[in-house]
This record gives sequence, structure tokens and C-alpha cells, in this order.
Amino acid sequence: MTVFADFGSTWSKIIDGSVKIVKTKEVPGEIIADFACGHNAEKRSKRYVNELIALSEGGLRLINEKDFLLVDVGSRDIKYVLYRDGRFVETGWNQECGASQGFAIELLEMYYNIDCNRLEPPENGYPVTCGLIGISRIFDEIIKTGDEENALAKFVKGIAMNVYHFTGKPEKMYLSGGLCENRLFIESIPCEVVPLGRFVLVEGLKEIYKKGFC
Amino acid sequence: MKVGFVGHPPNDIIEKYRSEELIDLDNDLGQVEEKSDLYLPKISCSVIKRVFNNSLAFRPQKIIFDVGEGKCDSGRFLSWILKDLFNIDIIETRNQNRKGSGTIICDSRLPLREKFDLILNNIIDNKDYELEREPHPSAGFWSVPCWDTRIFDLFPEGTRIFGWTRCFENGTPDDLEIECYVEKDIPTVFYAQTFCSKNLLAKNLARVYRGLYVDCDGRLTTSVKAQIEAFLYLRGTSG
Repeated sequence: MTVFADFGSTWSKIIDGSVKIVKTKEVPGEIIADFACGHNAEKRSKRYVNELIALSEGGLRLINEKDFLLVDVGSRDIKYVLYRDGRFVETGWNQECGASQGFAIELLEMYYNIDCNRLEPPENGYPVTCGLIGISRIFDEIIKTGDEENALAKFVKGIAMNVYHFTGKPEKMYLSGGLCENRLFIESIPCEVVPLGRFVLVEGLKEIYKKGFC
Repeated sequence: MKVGFVGHPPNDIIEKYRSEELIDLDNDLGQVEEKSDLYLPKISCSVIKRVFNNSLAFRPQKIIFDVGEGKCDSGRFLSWILKDLFNIDIIETRNQNRKGSGTIICDSRLPLREKFDLILNNIIDNKDYELEREPHPSAGFWSVPCWDTRIFDLFPEGTRIFGWTRCFENGTPDDLEIECYVEKDIPTVFYAQTFCSKNLLAKNLARVYRGLYVDCDGRLTTSVKAQIEAFLYLRGTSG
């Protein structure tokens, strides 16, 4: 049995006969994937694969179009690949300025006990380029208005706009990662968004396995 | 006598000091005390910080400082700071040479790291090289000399060098035409130090030539490394 794993900073997506999503801190130490990408993947796998290459291969496997932009919004970063006429054109990985944005949404939902899927996207968001700075904006807003839901919605809108700008203001994007399950985030991006779920990189690893390792 | 230099000063001035101990202050000269945080803004590029730190650590008797368009405004201002605030004897130069000496190292089959070493040492250890040209380079690298040289190891042998480093080898550091020369069929990474104005060129040349634009503040980050690896792989370049 071949084990594929995308070890995210906070969540790991693993296919080892079954399909699992587990907190990265709770992944048993004895799990060594055959093919893996992500956080600490060099130490937890026999074959480490660059995340952008896994994303790219996952996109080619799942998207039946020659032109596409595929964006992965992780716990702490934003990555994308752009294809035109079936050929790779561009890639980007915003690790520093995209710091902890996905993780911040998750933390805030838990702390305030708010389900983002119930919220409507606001017209404007905060100018958020970093999760930590964004959190301080939320606290300021709540002190001012007492409206936790509106503050969180503005934060999510800000992150959505940051993703949109970072990827070059596209007309359409395919989305990968945990935020595919966040309706507020998806509807806050001002273009067509097609969510592909959390296993895009793992699908990419499977493709690389089929083709022979890169 | 220790004589430092910054950028690529004109050859005739370097020749005057050839018998002295020449020190390239742009280069990594080993670990030195970092005083730049005290005197320079945080948004100074890593190479400018390095020049400052090296200058104070090695205290050359003179520094030949190229302050023309072949370096940058930050360099020009740093020259003034070292001269007026730190009492270092500065010889300011503006290298406007247009008699190119060729780019045999940039175009050779050597590994990228070796190319940079030869080019950057060629002012101190001036030699003519006979190197075989790589006719079909699988990658290109447009850049200034990088603060973190680990970036060179990401590229295949024979990677062609473009940008200011090409101007440097040619002995024409302010020749914008050569700086913007790129071969369109070679997948090229356009690299600039964060906070360097060459980012303007890097981003736009990358757009025009379908290359990868990256900037890095000092140390090579995981994301920049991954982007370069992925770009070279996805554009069919073997590493």
C-alpha cells in the first residue's frame, strides 16, 4: 500500500488505504509516507515533493481546462499555479505576507463560536496582509462596535481580497485547501471560485507517483 | 595597505591599487559584527548592509566606491555616510565604460556557483578565461550577486547569467541595455534583493519573458526556494 500525505502546518491530509484529515500535531510519529509534501515532509516521507509541483500536478489531474489558475490557501500561506494552453506559466508562494491567515480564521471561529458559513460577505473588509495584524484589527473593531460577527466577516473579506490581489485579480480561480469549506470566504472573493477541496495536493502526489517521481 | 572597493569601479583606478590588499566589500567576507541595525534603516537591502558592516569591520585605509548608475542611490548615500560620519577615506568613481570585455563566464558550461565566484573575483584576481560556451542552456538567472549564495545550487550547470552580473563581467556596470538583455527561449529566474530598485526591472522582465520573479531579503526562504525549484521543473529544466 502506497501512502500519500500532505502534511499541512495545522492539518494533515493522508491517504493510506483510507482517507484521513488529522491535526498535524496528532499525526502518529511512526507514519512515514511514501510520497509527501508540506510541513516537515522531508523527515516524514521516503519521497519529498515540492508543494508547488504537487499543487500543479493536482490541478492538471482535477481540472479539465487548458487555462486555469489554481490557488491553495493554507493555514499560513497562499500558493498558486497558472496554466495557459495547457502549459505552465507562473507560480507564486506568499509565505511571509500571507502569514497565518487561514489559521487565524480557524482560531477566531473557535474563540467566538461563530460559523462563517452563516455569515454574509460584507461590502468591505480590513486591509489584511498578515493574520496576526488582522487579529488586532478585529479586537479594535469589537471594542468599538461589540459586533463580533461583523468583525470576523470583515476579516475574512480582507483575507479573500488579499488572495484575489496576490493572484493577479483573476476572473476565475480554482480553490484548494481547508477554506473550500468556508462559504463566507468563497463568496468574499470577487470572481468565480470553484472549490476543489482539501486533497488537491494529495491528488498531485498520486499523479507524480503514477508518472514516476520527479 | 588595505583598499576596499564597492561595485565595479573603473579598471584604471583599480590598477593603481593593484599591489595593495584589495577587498571586495560587497562580498561575504565571513562573519563580521553587524552594526547596520544601529545606523541603517531596516528597509536597506542586504547587500548595502553587508557593505556597511564589512567597511566597519575591516576598516580599509581607502575605499574605492562606485557611486554611479552602475551601483545604486543607496550605495551613493552609503558612500557619503562612510566618508562623513565614519571618517573613512573614500575615492568616489563612476564607471561609464562601454568597451565590453565579453561575457565568456556568464555563457559558459560551468555551474552557477563557480561562475559567480570567477566573475566576482575577477577584479582582484584578474584573468582571461578560455571556457567552452554552453550553446543550449536549460535555465537562465538574471540577478545581481546574491546575498545568500545557496540559491546558485538550485540551478543546472550551464545556467546562463543575465542582468547586472553580466554587466559586471563585461566591465560595463551601468549599461542598461546589457542589463535588460535576456534570451526569450531560456526559462529564466529574475532575482533581486528585497528593497533594491532592480526589483522594478526584475518584475517587468519576468512578465515580458514569462520568467519567474522572486525577491529575497538576505537568507533564501523556503518559499523562494520552492518557487525556483517548481518553476525550473514545470518549465522542463533538469536540476
